[in-house]
Amino acid sequence: MRNRNATAYRFLAPYLLIFSVFWVWPIISSFLISFQATRTVPWRFAPGFNWGRLIGDPAFFNALQNTLLILVIQVPVMIALAMVMAVLLNSPLLKAKGLYRFAFFAPVVVGEVAYSAVFRLMFSLDFGIVNKLLNSVGLPKIDWFSNVTPAMALIMIAVTWRWAGYNAIILLAGMQSIPEDVYEAATLDRVSKLKQFFYITLPLLKPVIVFCLVLSIIGTMQLFTEPFLITERGGPGGGTETLGLLLYRQGFRSLNFGYASAVAYTMAALAIVITLVQLWLTREKQ
Amino acid sequence: MATVTLSNVVKRFGAFEVVHGANIDIKDGEFVVFVGPSGCGKSTLLRMIAGLEDISGGEIAIGGKLVNDVEPADRGIAMVFQSYALYPHMSVEQNLSFGLRMTGNPKADTDRRVKRAAEILRISELMDRRPKKLSGGQRQRVAIGRAIVREPQVFLFDEPLSNLDAELRVQMRVEISRLHKELGATMIYVTHDQTEAMTLADRIVVLRAGHIEQIGRPLDLYDDPDNLFVAGFVGSPKMNFIKAQIIGHDAGGVVVELAGQEKTRITQPLAGAAPETGSKVIVGVRPEHFGSAGEGDTDLVVTIDVVEHLGGTSFLYARTAHGEDVVIQRDAAKVPTTPEVTVSIRKSYLFDEKGLRLR
Repeated sequence: MRNRNATAYRFLAPYLLIFSVFWVWPIISSFLISFQATRTVPWRFAPGFNWGRLIGDPAFFNALQNTLLILVIQVPVMIALAMVMAVLLNSPLLKAKGLYRFAFFAPVVVGEVAYSAVFRLMFSLDFGIVNKLLNSVGLPKIDWFSNVTPAMALIMIAVTWRWAGYNAIILLAGMQSIPEDVYEAATLDRVSKLKQFFYITLPLLKPVIVFCLVLSIIGTMQLFTEPFLITERGGPGGGTETLGLLLYRQGFRSLNFGYASAVAYTMAALAIVITLVQLWLTREKQ
Repeated sequence: MATVTLSNVVKRFGAFEVVHGANIDIKDGEFVVFVGPSGCGKSTLLRMIAGLEDISGGEIAIGGKLVNDVEPADRGIAMVFQSYALYPHMSVEQNLSFGLRMTGNPKADTDRRVKRAAEILRISELMDRRPKKLSGGQRQRVAIGRAIVREPQVFLFDEPLSNLDAELRVQMRVEISRLHKELGATMIYVTHDQTEAMTLADRIVVLRAGHIEQIGRPLDLYDDPDNLFVAGFVGSPKMNFIKAQIIGHDAGGVVVELAGQEKTRITQPLAGAAPETGSKVIVGVRPEHFGSAGEGDTDLVVTIDVVEHLGGTSFLYARTAHGEDVVIQRDAAKVPTTPEVTVSIRKSYLFDEKGLRLR
């Protein structure tokens, strides 16, 4: 048995080596870096330097507030929308389901740069179709990129557009795993379709909904592409700067890797804490 | 309680017809079993009665009222599903009361019905458990309980015992029989298991490929089958079929000779028109209708391949000289010791080439 284990580990060795060097070590290394002052040469060990700065940094709290705001508003809206889409896809009345499934999932496979460019065009002040539509129904144009509130809304719309279909497909898979005869039994029990949704579908989908929420929370905590590309590096004036963007700015523009590492670990810790709280709140009660 | 009448009921899935004009009259309080092999349309027929499947033609009446366009919940029926279809996130008590709660039934009445159902099915001590914490038999009881609380006119059972092991199946069969006596309700029960049908039914409806082959009391089907299919389907082990030919007619009826065995002849009295001499027919013999040599109408030499001892009874799996497989039932004490043995045919059934019974 020991020989067999040794042989197995020899086969695994190349993978384990690469995994350790390029995955495990950077995680450990960045944790160590977060305790070093990295804007001096050579770097020096200063445990309170980055973590102390984090506590008093208005840019960090601005990024944290923006990230949490997106999390609190966008994630529930997106999951609710995904649920509506999944119900539609699951409806026997809907024709051409394959086409809709493809259409809902397509945003995930569209390149981030391409979709960001399209969003910038769509929401452009003078040429964008969104403002043209608003005008056509008598509403004033919105300067999506120069004001903080519209810019935040734009980020939320973009993220929702990109990921709602993905979550809808996961929820649809969950819905389709609920046996049909449970609904038939409810139909015979004179339970309306709406009540079937609230009293059967939703409770039985709870583990899938929690899964989608956890994935979305982790994704939103790391949000980077949309504020970087659509609102031009967290603009206007840091109004859409997220923790991911702050990390990038500190690490790769200011080359302050120690502080960027501290931000990265804060993001990960927040994601873990929020996810744990959520899992605890949605746990199955005996 | 109510009667259930099916008149020329047809079901088509697209252009494909799966039930071809079913006519069944079920009396008030009767226990009727639909039996047949997989794909014969028995579950479809049940689901049409429940209203879970639309009917493509014909009429269904429950309690004398046409229900073709009546919603499933308004038909006065309750259904027990093969997979139990319990709500997995609810306790037993919630499963039983869910329908009544959702429709705003008064709480006192809901509690009374749930308590009564739990007592009838002896599940009162399980009320706080979720379905996953129950055994198969307990789940099935809860599923039946959910039907009882609706206080329906007609109970529909869709293969309710097929997910249970053999021992539990026998136990639940008795329970369902007891329930029928206790409630006195009309019950329609679907199964592919002829033993279940024989033991539970007041009347059996035998189906094959969407056609009703025969309707009758269990022993009537067993003793007087209309055709080869019913004869083969009802009874375990199934009836033996031996190829034969009509070689003449005499005062006693038609004289039949078993294929490949010149001296093995049976004379069958026929009330109806007898087929012509030379016609090919099939002789059906139930395993228990073989006797010892000289006891019956004719003797037959068979070679025994396997003997299955079941205690008091044994089954001999044998071949005729013509190579046809036959199963012979014998008392355990009378099992022959030699491989070649002469048996007699004490009672037989005659079927024409199309499989219809010759009477």
